[in-house]
Amino acid sequence: MDGNYVALAVTLVVWIGIFFYLMRLDRRVKDLEKRS
Amino acid sequence: MIVASFLTPAPQAQIGEASRIFYYHIPQAWICVIAFATSMVFSVRYLRKKAMIDDDRASTAAGLGFLFCFLATVTGATFAKVTWGSFWNWDPRETSIFVLLLIYAAYFALRNAVDEENKRAALSAVYSIFAFLTVPFLIFVVPRVMPSLHPADSVVDENLRFTMGPTVGTIFGVSLLLFSLLFLWLFNLALRIKKIERARLERSL
Repeated sequence: MDGNYVALAVTLVVWIGIFFYLMRLDRRVKDLEKRS
Repeated sequence: MIVASFLTPAPQAQIGEASRIFYYHIPQAWICVIAFATSMVFSVRYLRKKAMIDDDRASTAAGLGFLFCFLATVTGATFAKVTWGSFWNWDPRETSIFVLLLIYAAYFALRNAVDEENKRAALSAVYSIFAFLTVPFLIFVVPRVMPSLHPADSVVDENLRFTMGPTVGTIFGVSLLLFSLLFLWLFNLALRIKKIERARLERSL
């Protein structure tokens, strides 16, 4: 079960990282759309 | 969903903890099929209307399909290492997904080989339609016809009856929904970026 907690932590970090990266990218694209 | 996928009992007791990958691997494979189907639909639309936006949509969907197909291959290989002892065994399921990756890699090679925009769009639309014809065969038929180590009744049994219990079914359903939303978000984002690039290119000409 301990291994599950480690895998859970790694998975959460990866998915939260992907989510925030996409949020930032979405905001930048929105800015570029406003400018053009 | 992520927390539940690791802290609830493993979905298939006979396989054990490795079966948790099921919550990620199957939705990835499913989104890969949906993305390739989307690419085929927009390819048909491009051939009928000749609008470049449909070519952008078709190539974006194919790119995302390739990405999800690759992720399904990686998660599948990880599962194979834990349960069968090696990452790659040339099992019918592994071989068919590898062939599918090659078919769609050739789609991008074709797109890169043609400079003229309309010609590239038309050729890749025709290729995408033929490429999709292989998807149901490679994903659904080959692994079921040939003997395989791959679990076959994770979602439905041979009589197409749902095999999951309520907890596993709920986590799986939420995972499928979230992966679908992620696909739509990525598709929308990539198309908006292509639109900005196209507008910039037109301004510079």
